[in-house]
Amino acid sequence: MLDAAGQALRAQLMELFRSSGAQLGDEEFDALALRIFRFQFERNVPYAAFCERRGLTPDAVAHWSEIPAVPTAAFREVELIAGARANVEMVFRTSGTSAPGETRGSHYILDLSLYHFSLIPAFAAHVLPDGAELPLLSLIPSDRELPDSSLAHMVAVVLQRLGAADSGYFATAERGIDDAALGAALARACEAQRPVCLLGTSFSFVHWTDRLRERGERYLLPQGSRLMDTGGYKGRSREVPAGDMLAAYQDLLGIGADYCVNEYGMTELCSQYYDATLRAQSATAADGATRPRPRRKVALPWLRTRVVDPETLEAVPDGTRGLLQHLDLANLGSVIAVQTEDVGMLNDDGLELFGRAGTAVPRGCSIAMDDLLAAVQRPRA
Amino acid sequence: MEPFDAWHIPLSGLPAELSTIPAALPPFDDATTTGPELRVARLSPGDLRRVSGALQEAGETLRGRPIDQVIAAIDAVARRFLDRDDALRAQALAWLPRTTGLSPAMAELVLDRTASDWLAPLLRALIQAELRDPRVLERFVRHRPGQYVRAFGPRLAFHVLAGNVPGVGVTSLVRSLLVRAPALCKTAREEPVMPVLFARALHTADPELGSALAVTWWPGGDLDLEDAALANADLVVHYGGREAVTSLAARIPRHVRLVEHGPRISFGIVAREKVGDPRLPAQIARATATFDQQGCVSPHLVYVEHPSHDVVRDFARRIAEALAQIGSELSRGRLSFEEASLIRAVRAAAEFRQIGGAETALFGDPSLAYTVIYDARPDFVASCLNRTLWCRPISSIHDVADLVRPFAPLLQSVAVAASRANTKRLAEALGQAGASRVTCFESLPWPAPTWHHDGRGPLRELLRWVDLERS
Repeated sequence: MLDAAGQALRAQLMELFRSSGAQLGDEEFDALALRIFRFQFERNVPYAAFCERRGLTPDAVAHWSEIPAVPTAAFREVELIAGARANVEMVFRTSGTSAPGETRGSHYILDLSLYHFSLIPAFAAHVLPDGAELPLLSLIPSDRELPDSSLAHMVAVVLQRLGAADSGYFATAERGIDDAALGAALARACEAQRPVCLLGTSFSFVHWTDRLRERGERYLLPQGSRLMDTGGYKGRSREVPAGDMLAAYQDLLGIGADYCVNEYGMTELCSQYYDATLRAQSATAADGATRPRPRRKVALPWLRTRVVDPETLEAVPDGTRGLLQHLDLANLGSVIAVQTEDVGMLNDDGLELFGRAGTAVPRGCSIAMDDLLAAVQRPRA
Repeated sequence: MEPFDAWHIPLSGLPAELSTIPAALPPFDDATTTGPELRVARLSPGDLRRVSGALQEAGETLRGRPIDQVIAAIDAVARRFLDRDDALRAQALAWLPRTTGLSPAMAELVLDRTASDWLAPLLRALIQAELRDPRVLERFVRHRPGQYVRAFGPRLAFHVLAGNVPGVGVTSLVRSLLVRAPALCKTAREEPVMPVLFARALHTADPELGSALAVTWWPGGDLDLEDAALANADLVVHYGGREAVTSLAARIPRHVRLVEHGPRISFGIVAREKVGDPRLPAQIARATATFDQQGCVSPHLVYVEHPSHDVVRDFARRIAEALAQIGSELSRGRLSFEEASLIRAVRAAAEFRQIGGAETALFGDPSLAYTVIYDARPDFVASCLNRTLWCRPISSIHDVADLVRPFAPLLQSVAVAASRANTKRLAEALGQAGASRVTCFESLPWPAPTWHHDGRGPLRELLRWVDLERS
C-alpha cells in the first residue's frame, strides 16, 4: 500500500493509464517523473543514498533523463521500496541459477493494482489491438505454482481480465508443457474455427515446436490466432535465430509473422515493451496500407527508454547500440529509473533489442566468476 | 588502411582464397563496424592437410638443425621486435591495439617483456633447466650408469592459441621450435598479430625454420577444419576456455597428446608485517593493470592480514589511488559491452551492499578505468577483470590455503608479501592446495621463461622419452 502522497501520485497515474497515455507529452512526462523521483527519494532509503553519493538529489535534477538509474544488480542487494516494508503487497523475484552464494533480485510492489493497470492496456494494445476476444493458452505455469514470478503473475492477470472462455494453463512447473492437452485445445480451435492466442517464453516455444516437428504434428490455426513469446533465444543451451522461430510458427501453427508478438519485460519493471508488429498491422490493415517495417518494440507512453554508453552511461545517438536505461512511471512504489544490462538501439519507430550483455565470456585463459562456481559444483571424479 | 594479413603459410599457392573481417571483435553482434580489418586465409580441409604434410617434411630438416642455429634465428626475431627502428616492431605496435583492444602503451610494455623472453641467453637457460643436456634431442645421452636417454619432440604440434595476452602464443611456438617440432598454429580471432609477425620474420631470418611454422585462423567450431588439423598432429597444445578445450578434447584421436593451458586464477596475500610497506599498493596496482588483468597470472583478489577493518579498507583505497596513477601512464584498453556491463554490475552490488550497511567499500573512477572493492567477507572470489580487484581482510594468512583449496584445479600464481619465514610456510601450504607458483607482486605478471607453466615442464611436457639400457 502506498502512503497518502503515494496515493495522490497513484491517482494521476491511474488517469494516465486509463487513457492509455494518449495525451502524455514530453513536459507532462517530465513533470510527473520528477514528482515521483522526489517522492521515491524521500522514502526509498537506499535509493536516496545512491542519489546522494552522486550529488543527484531532487533539487539538483532538472530533467527526467538525469534521474539516477538503479542498476538491476541493486535489486539483489537491498530492499528498494518507496515506503515501509510492511506495506509491500507482493514481491517478484528474478529467476536464479541457484548457484552457491547467488542471490535473486527482489522487486517490491507496494500497489499491485497499479501494476495491473499498467500491464493490461499495454497487453491489449499490442497483442489484442483489434479488440479480439480470444482464449489465452498459456505455456507458462500458473502463478499459484510460481508465486514470485512477475511473468506468471502477468499471465494470470491477462488470462483473468482479457482471456475469453477456455483460457487456461497448459504447463506446470514440474512437468513443463502438457503437449496432449495443448494439442487437444489447438485441434478444437481448428475444428471450431475459433482463433486462439498462445503465450509462452521463447524457449518454451523452441522446445515445444521441436517436439511438434519430431511428431510431425502441425496445426493450421484459424485466421486471427496469435502468439506472444517473451525473452530471447540467446545465452541458453541452444541459440535459435528469431527468424527461424517465426518460420516455425508459420509452418507448425499457421500463425504468420505479423501475428507473432515478442514481449520484453523484466522483474524490475511494472511495464513492458512489445513488438509493434501486430499493432501496426492492425492500424494499417483497414486501408490496405503497406506492411509494417522491421520488428521494433514499443511501449505505452509511461515507459521511456534511454540508450547509454556502457562505459560512461551517457546517452548515445539514435541508431547506436548501447545499454537500455528505463524510466517506468508505473514503478511508483519502488524506483522508476532502472539501468539494465540489456543491449538495444533506439530508432525513430521504436526499440530494437539485441540481448543481454551481462554474460561476458572471458578472453582466452583468463577466468570468469562462473568458472570458479563451476569448479566447486563439478562433481569430483 | 590496408588490412592485416593474418596468416603465414609456407606453401606456394596457398591460401588460394581470402576473406576480410573486422580486426576488433565488434560490439555485440554489430556487423556494421567500420575500422581496421584482417585478411584471413580461407583454407579447405584438404588445404590444411597439405599444409600439415609440408610442415612434417620441414620437421625432418628441423630435427637436423643444431640447437644453436634454432636459438640464433629466434633470437634474431626477438631483437627485431625489440629494436625501436625496426619495421617489424612498428607493425606489431600499430596492430596490437587494434586487434586486442589494449592501449598502445600496454601493447608496448607487453611486447618488450615477452620478446625479451625469446633472446638467446634466456632460451639457453630454459633448455638447460628443462633438459640439462640439449643434445638429448639429437642422440642418446648418458643418463646414469647403464642407462642412456633420448627425447623426441612431436612430429607435428597443433597449437590452438588464446588472445588474452599477446606474445604468449609466440612463446608456445618458440617452445615447439626448441624441441624441433614443426607447428601448425590456429590463432585467436583477436590476436593473430604476434604469431603471424613472428612466423614471417622467422621465415626471413631462416627460411628453413620458417617453413616449419604455419599460422592461420578459422572460425571456432569448424569441425572439418579441426579434424583436418588434428589428422596429422601427434601433439595438441591448447590455450583457452573450458568449453573450447572440452569440445576439441572430445575429438582428439587417442594417440594424440593434449597439453592444456586452461583458465587459471591468480591472487595475492599481504602479511601483517608488510601492510605498512609503502611500495606495495603500487606494486599490486601494476600487477592488476598489466594486460588489463587478462592474464592467468593477473591477480583477482588480495588478502590483507590485519585485525583492523579500517586498515584494510585504507589499504584498498591506496591500491585504487595507485591504479589511478598507473592509468595515466598505462591506460586501460577498450571494453566490450559485456565487460563494461559486468564491471557496472559488480560495482552496483558493492555500492548497494555498502548502502545496506555491509562492511564493504567501492573505490573506482566514473569511467571504469579501475575498480577496487574492499569487502570483509573472506570468500575466495574471481574478479570481472579489466582492472577490478577485490581486497579482503584475513585474520591469519595461514587460513588462505584452506579457502582456496576447493579451487585447486584453477589456481595459478600467488603473490606473497610476507617475511621470509612466512613466505616459505605459505608456499608449502599453497603448493599443496593447488597453486603452481608463489612469487612477489612485482614479478607476478612476468613469470621467468623457465617457470613450470601450470605446474609442468614447459619443454618436457612436449617430449616423449626413450631409454636405452645397456647391461
